[in-house]
Amino acid sequence: MSDVTGGVSGETDIPHAELLSAYAEAVYHRDGGLIAKKQAEIRQILGDAALVDCAAVASAFHGFVRVADGTGIPYEGAGGGTDTTDLRSEAGIDQFYRIAGE
Amino acid sequence: MTISYPQSDLTVRDDLINAQTRFWEHLAAPGTWLSGAERVAIAAEVRNVRHCEFCKIQIDALSPNSVQGTHQSDTDLSPMMVEVIHRIVNDPGRLTESWVRSAVDSGISNGAYVETVGLIATVMIMDTFAAGIGHDDVPLPQPAAGDPIRYTPAGAKRAAAWVPIVEPEDVTDEDGELYPGTRNAYIQRALSSVPATKHGYWDLAVVNYLPAEHMPNFDTDLRAISRNQIELIAARTSALHGCAY
Repeated sequence: MSDVTGGVSGETDIPHAELLSAYAEAVYHRDGGLIAKKQAEIRQILGDAALVDCAAVASAFHGFVRVADGTGIPYEGAGGGTDTTDLRSEAGIDQFYRIAGE
Repeated sequence: MTISYPQSDLTVRDDLINAQTRFWEHLAAPGTWLSGAERVAIAAEVRNVRHCEFCKIQIDALSPNSVQGTHQSDTDLSPMMVEVIHRIVNDPGRLTESWVRSAVDSGISNGAYVETVGLIATVMIMDTFAAGIGHDDVPLPQPAAGDPIRYTPAGAKRAAAWVPIVEPEDVTDEDGELYPGTRNAYIQRALSSVPATKHGYWDLAVVNYLPAEHMPNFDTDLRAISRNQIELIAARTSALHGCAY
């Protein structure tokens, strides 16, 4: 769970999780040099189509977060109801500004 | 104009290119509450955020309200509209209901605010995708002439969210198909008070992420990366933004 909120740091079953997380971070920070480096690694290891899909998913969530946070939709019940209070606490999401400020 | 990425040797999926091209046409056209010129100016302002010194100060502040300053802008948009765009782009995780109400109370209508949120989000998808493949921003389209249609769904009401939404049971024939299939989670309701904006946003969002019917299916194998890899990128991106949804 901490792989999501704190960055990949330990064992995970997801192949190339560290690389994909680092790519998402580079895109978030719009760090051109790091994007280029991670992009090259993804192309080499996973292929060109995978890089396109990595960019597509990362960009989709740069949109989703702004729709959710710009409109203030309820976060309870997100993920089709799989987002429980316990899960939010375990993931550290309770520390996010919107929830911590309530 | 078909979207293309001449600085890259990558082959971008046809469905992505087609949806991006449709969104650029949608962006340039008159909307529900905003003209084509205003909509394209919003897209330009989204890009200005990257170079705004006040945004850098604000994101580093313990509270965004603890610092005073002026956003750097080169569009003709009102100061409050510039504030709305810069805050949503730069610091979405620390928006509050009172901030949204102050924007609406300042003269930006609920409809114009929701349309702006949808455009910001969709332009962010476009520009982040380009950056993600190592490409410059795609040139903005020329705005088309014409007037906004100024349509408010009869069932739009402010209750569950900070902005009015149309609950699935309140959809009328005039609204069109707001909730195709069975997908009506709050993220799908968020822009529902401006149906054209909702359609424009989701038309692009689903080809970047997953079609709605595949979202609850964790065995889906539509993309060149696995569903687990998709969700890792998605969750890490959301966490970096401090998004609770």
